[in-house]
Amino acid sequence: MSGIIDSYIPVAIFLAVGLIMPPMTMFIVKQLSPRSKAANKYTTYESGSVPTGTARIQFNVEYYLYAIAFVLFDIEVLFLYPWATVYKGHGITSVAVIEMLVFIFVLLFGYLYLWKKEALTWVK
Amino acid sequence: MIEIPELIVPFLPWIRGVAGLALVGAIFLGAMGAVWIERKLSADIQFRYGPMRVGKFGLLQLVADAIKLFTKEDLRPKNADRLLFDNAPIFLMSSVFLMLVAIPVGAVFIGGVEYPLAVTEMDISILYIEAMSSISIFGVFMMSYGSNNKYSLLGAFRNFARMVGYEVPLGITVISVAVMTGSLNIVEIAQGQGLVWNIFLQPIGFVVFFIALMADMGRLPFDQNESEEELVAGWITEYSGMRFGLGFFAEYIHMILGSFLVALLFLGGWNVPAFVANNPVLGLIAPTGFLLLKAVLVLCTIVMLRWAVPRYRIDQVVDLSWKKLLPLSLLNLVWAVGLGLYLGV
Repeated sequence: MSGIIDSYIPVAIFLAVGLIMPPMTMFIVKQLSPRSKAANKYTTYESGSVPTGTARIQFNVEYYLYAIAFVLFDIEVLFLYPWATVYKGHGITSVAVIEMLVFIFVLLFGYLYLWKKEALTWVK
Repeated sequence: MIEIPELIVPFLPWIRGVAGLALVGAIFLGAMGAVWIERKLSADIQFRYGPMRVGKFGLLQLVADAIKLFTKEDLRPKNADRLLFDNAPIFLMSSVFLMLVAIPVGAVFIGGVEYPLAVTEMDISILYIEAMSSISIFGVFMMSYGSNNKYSLLGAFRNFARMVGYEVPLGITVISVAVMTGSLNIVEIAQGQGLVWNIFLQPIGFVVFFIALMADMGRLPFDQNESEEELVAGWITEYSGMRFGLGFFAEYIHMILGSFLVALLFLGGWNVPAFVANNPVLGLIAPTGFLLLKAVLVLCTIVMLRWAVPRYRIDQVVDLSWKKLLPLSLLNLVWAVGLGLYLGV
């Protein structure tokens, strides 16, 4: 058990460095860089003209279809990870392979359904 | 085997972690090198000179650029979301650091015994690396959404559509590689290619992985979130100075790590013939040098593809991932399983 924890100690160290280093860089920049106040500098860029309206618009519903399909397939991938490590050399090879082929074909069926329903078409 | 004193064994992970920070310095130099390679190579392709003035062959150009970035004002537009805008580059940077920690950058052979040069070795390192690679995409998304700029928001939308499409084929091809060795440890996957490289066993898998990785890193032809010509740099339109520099550098580090991943998963990693490995001098440098050479070649290929292939339209990008790469990656998985059983490795 300690072996697993041990392998994540360097991760924690790197995470700490990754979180500390950029703010430190920004601190140094703050000391070195010039500052001037001019209202126009802080406007949002919109090809030189005065920005109209807000940029906070709603997402098109099409994106959600892709997102749902993504979640489905990503979970499939998640199931495959542990399977890839144990299907061989544990005396369950034939069962494991057949099960996984069934699993993939069921998903393929759902995939074809998505395709036929045009959920995977960008412009309908 | 090298004898490790009993006393320091409990502290070994800490020592590895702190010593591994040298890798952070190396990767920063590497990222500067990558920017230089990209600028020089792009210039060569376009019959220009590229950076020439600062240092020999413009080698110090990046140092000059870094100094410039340090002395530029840190500007945040009024309308930007303060929390997202300020922290997104930090988020992006720490996510590539976390990716770096699990990637082996080579190996040394001492007395015929192999010591992989990885900061940490986990059982699930490939899953971990992929997770961190996906998280870095959220950093890009935070940058574009936090800018509160219409161009950036369009970039964010496109980035989202691309991101969800390419994660799945990427994951499945990684699994088909893991199937060959029956391990999710990237060190074992690299070691398992001593006889045949995975690119020869799974050519389809390599193509799918390479394309999906390019999309994952947002390199041309998949830089729809950036699209300088239409979106005026999209996700980084509002960024300037060092905050831009951090995000930009994180992207380059991501690209380097991606090249290492290709070399480790498909191009045979650091494996060298036994007579080289057993040579006391060559054994120390040849495996790492070999891996580095492959990674640089992959990097150059990625840069050259930028000038060879025009940028895809967003609907083409989405179609490519969902309708072509996904079935191909599943096909490759079935092929890999069959191959793994046939070879019995």
